Amino acid sequence: MASFPIRFVTGIEAKGNILIFLSIAISRSEPSLISLTSWDSIYIKLLKKSIPHSSLTKGMNLVKRWKRSFFQIIKMGLKAEVLIVGGGATGAGIARDLARRGIPSILIEKGDFASGASGRNHGLLHSGARYAVTDPQAAKECIQENRILRKIAPHCIEETGGLFISLPEDGLEFRDRFLRACEKVGIPTQPLSPEEALTLEPELNPHLLSAIHVPDGAIDPFTLVLSNVKDAEDHGSKFLLHTEVLSILVEKDKVKGVRVKDLCTGEESTIETSFLINATGAWADYFLKSLGLRIGIALSKGSMMITNRRLGQRVINRCRPPSDGDIIVPNHTVSILGTTSIRVEEIENFEVTPSEVSLLIQETSKMIPSINGCRFIRAYAGIRPLFIEQGKQNDRAISRGFVLIDHEERDGIKNLISITGGKLITYRLMAEKTSDLICQKMGVTISCTTHSVPLPGANQSLALRERLKNLGRKEILCDCELVKRDEVEKILKNEKLKELQDILHRTRIAKGTCQGGFCIYRLLGLLNESGKDFGDSNKILKGFLEERWKGIHPVLWGSAVKEEEMIEGIYKGIFNLR
Amino acid sequence: MHYDLIIIGMGLSGLMAAKTALDLKKRVLLIGKGMGGLTLFSNTIDILGRIPENLNLKDGLFEWIKDHPEHPYSKIGVEGIEEALSSFISIFPPPYTFQSLNGRNAKLPTAIGTFRPTYLFPSTLAGGTYLKEGNTLIVGFKGFKDFYAGYMAKEFKCRHLTLSLQDEGRSELTATYLSRLMEKEGFRERIGSQIKNALKGESLVAMPPILGLRDPMDAKKHLEAITGVEVFEIPTLPPSLLGMRLFNRFKEYLLERGVDLLIGNKISKVQIKSALCEGIEVYHPPITRFYSADHFILATGRFIGGGLEAERERISETVFHLPVWSTRSQDKWFGENFFDDHPIHGFGISVDPSFRPLDSEGKPIFENVRVIGTILSGHHSLYEGSREGIEISTGYWGAKRLLE
Ligand SMILES: Cc1cc2nc3c(=O)[nH]c(=O)nc-3n(C[C@H](O)[C@H](O)[C@H](O)COP(=O)(O)OP(=O)(O)OC[C@H]3O[C@@H](n4cnc5c(N)ncnc54)[C@H](O)[C@@H]3O)c2cc1C
Repeated sequence: MASFPIRFVTGIEAKGNILIFLSIAISRSEPSLISLTSWDSIYIKLLKKSIPHSSLTKGMNLVKRWKRSFFQIIKMGLKAEVLIVGGGATGAGIARDLARRGIPSILIEKGDFASGASGRNHGLLHSGARYAVTDPQAAKECIQENRILRKIAPHCIEETGGLFISLPEDGLEFRDRFLRACEKVGIPTQPLSPEEALTLEPELNPHLLSAIHVPDGAIDPFTLVLSNVKDAEDHGSKFLLHTEVLSILVEKDKVKGVRVKDLCTGEESTIETSFLINATGAWADYFLKSLGLRIGIALSKGSMMITNRRLGQRVINRCRPPSDGDIIVPNHTVSILGTTSIRVEEIENFEVTPSEVSLLIQETSKMIPSINGCRFIRAYAGIRPLFIEQGKQNDRAISRGFVLIDHEERDGIKNLISITGGKLITYRLMAEKTSDLICQKMGVTISCTTHSVPLPGANQSLALRERLKNLGRKEILCDCELVKRDEVEKILKNEKLKELQDILHRTRIAKGTCQGGFCIYRLLGLLNESGKDFGDSNKILKGFLEERWKGIHPVLWGSAVKEEEMIEGIYKGIFNLR
Repeated sequence: MHYDLIIIGMGLSGLMAAKTALDLKKRVLLIGKGMGGLTLFSNTIDILGRIPENLNLKDGLFEWIKDHPEHPYSKIGVEGIEEALSSFISIFPPPYTFQSLNGRNAKLPTAIGTFRPTYLFPSTLAGGTYLKEGNTLIVGFKGFKDFYAGYMAKEFKCRHLTLSLQDEGRSELTATYLSRLMEKEGFRERIGSQIKNALKGESLVAMPPILGLRDPMDAKKHLEAITGVEVFEIPTLPPSLLGMRLFNRFKEYLLERGVDLLIGNKISKVQIKSALCEGIEVYHPPITRFYSADHFILATGRFIGGGLEAERERISETVFHLPVWSTRSQDKWFGENFFDDHPIHGFGISVDPSFRPLDSEGKPIFENVRVIGTILSGHHSLYEGSREGIEISTGYWGAKRLLE
């Protein structure tokens, strides 16, 4: 291999108590440095080289301190080689991809991981069939990534299979086009008779005309994102959560850095960088605003509803051009009905409206009639960024493929890249293409390995059965989802957490039937007793109950009203929380 | 089988109605699904929490009734409410009695470190009225996940002690399990001395409601003798032992007076002839039995109790299919915020002064059916802090006006 320098990490030097940050060049031919996996060890090696022994111990102590409070480093001015903004699947995927190529990065996320679309989607591991007729390119990407994810992320996937069913009102004309289109892009299909379909999925509409089996599945987005983060971290990447990028600093034709705000402390600072990646999903245009740039994306809200039981074993799709309320995805012990598609202007503060609830029930119950009598535990929505191509009026017709923009070509800014759109399940491909572009800009050729190297945790099972087996005599905090006290204590010990939501993201607490109505008190109790509370517990409790309410009140009828009467009785009555 | 009165529903209002009817020497059948809402909420007796602090309850009620003509209390009047409360209090002889704080609402500590106003409370909760910064040691149990002493201690600015019962060989403890332990003298001695050793000048000890089902006052006195300070309970998440004590005492009282109880059976049909209810059919698997009576009282509660049911476009009453005062469309049932006082809580059955259910024109539907308890319209008991007051007073007067 040729020996060329890569400038990929920032060095530091200690002079007395003052730290000086400097960029260093590391030679490809010096393996001891190339194989470094953590910044701390880089610091240590640098200190060893350039600083007299007396200050070395001081330096080592400092390193230990930085490890504890990475934020302090920022305050003093931090430089990154590659800065990624956005901690969704795409951003986390890029961090992992780059790290595996030996290029560590810093990722900045204003909330928690997966707090954007990556945590608010349908959880469908697309086979691509849904787009086969209308968007063959997106369909091709889906089936290819579907196959890869089954290999590298089996712990995030339930291989359920999926059916595309035709109802009498749909006829069979679309089905025939559908079959031909799937064949063209290489999606395996298996036509079933109505009887066969009903044997597999007894709750289906008995009047269905036909069903076609495809390799759809269910995917757990939280685990997927966190696994990418873990691998990236293990290979030298750093993550700054609850930190928002306020503006981009440009000099001539280059980004110099970004202005960021630590949302925990409110402090602002500047981070310099050699390359900036905009992986902010729906926020992509908003993010570029300070530069006066625009990619041109439209925002489309999609709403979903969660039933309190699992309605079937497989993903059920309507065999018609993509439309509202035509997919039902099984997920652990529940099913998720979706989606709608409504143009919105605002990326935050959106909710599920009564008419969306009616529409979803009306449409999905055509596929599974028992949905009419179903109990729902929550409704929620997410925002899709859709790349507007000329001439496409209908949002469903806009491509679900992704856009990778080299702002050097487009706007003359050399070191800025935007990546947005796409699907959860194409996150890896999006990350690969972005990382390729970065490497090209750096002038190096290191190939991508993420299509073949399994994610950490790939050998663990996600099944409820396993959870049950591991329960033993452990204390359970959440009775709906069987979350152990241990599990939460481990997270409290090992991770940087800012708020309650961070724990909720990392466990299944509050995801079951009572949506946290009971276990939230227990969780707060535990936080208090272990001295890890996030401040005024009753204020947090109120905040949680209000947030929970948003998802619940649109679907509150039937037996759920009883449970809500109980929850209200507890918090407003017994606890007199006002 | 024929009765003077059949009462459907075993919550506090049904129990109160049964007591009243039995005191009048009537033959009563009381039928219900279980302990009713008692084990869920009724830790104490709320009459009207929403009155200005330091106003005595009687004056508060006068004002309230003046301003709320549709409220169930307005059908009863202040004196009527007081009479009903005395009737309730009379069935709890010492040592486990119900008391008020000089005719005013008391503020009792809760398990999240707030205070809540309530009117009558049992003797085991009385110490809570003295809780102040620094004067109480709050005691919890490791593995009892419905009570967090540390949480409360922080809010109340008191100290806490979390006892570990490792030798019990369980990682998870429930309120009923702890209360069974608490009924053993040896156990009380053990934890009593641990608590005593942990005291640093506190004059009170608080614990979850686990002082036992049978003789909570014995446990309390025993612990007080060991620790030398007053011991009291702080109510927490259901199931509530405090409510079970209430239910058990009612059951004992009613059985002594010859009530017939049917617990856990479902009414499969009501038999109606013009404006009269003749009887009910009850399903006792595998057979169905018919019970007739001169009078019927419906005391089935709201949604949890099963008295009301919410379909997507309609709220209905489950036994007699009475009209429910409500709005149709689901998105009007609830406020935007959790802490709003939701319109759905005001829905219910509207009745005349003798608690007969009314149709949409305001005419009584049945001659011999009365409706009592929280299923009535015109109140927001959770918001008002009036749940038990409504149950006790409508239970008492529902039966009394019917039978006298
Ligand atoms: C309703 C709906 C249903 C969907 N269903 C599916 C499905 O079933 N299957 C599938 O494969 N895909 C699905 N998708 C698509 C999928 O969710 C998205 O494509 C994917 O999650 C996008 O990931 P991302 O990382 O690009 O964006 P996001 O997950 O949105 O991440 C962007 C992140 O950037 C952060 N950010 C923004 N601005 C800043 C800033 N200034 N500073 C710091 N951080 C910032 C945000 O907080 C956010 O966390 C669905 C999408 C929606 C909306």
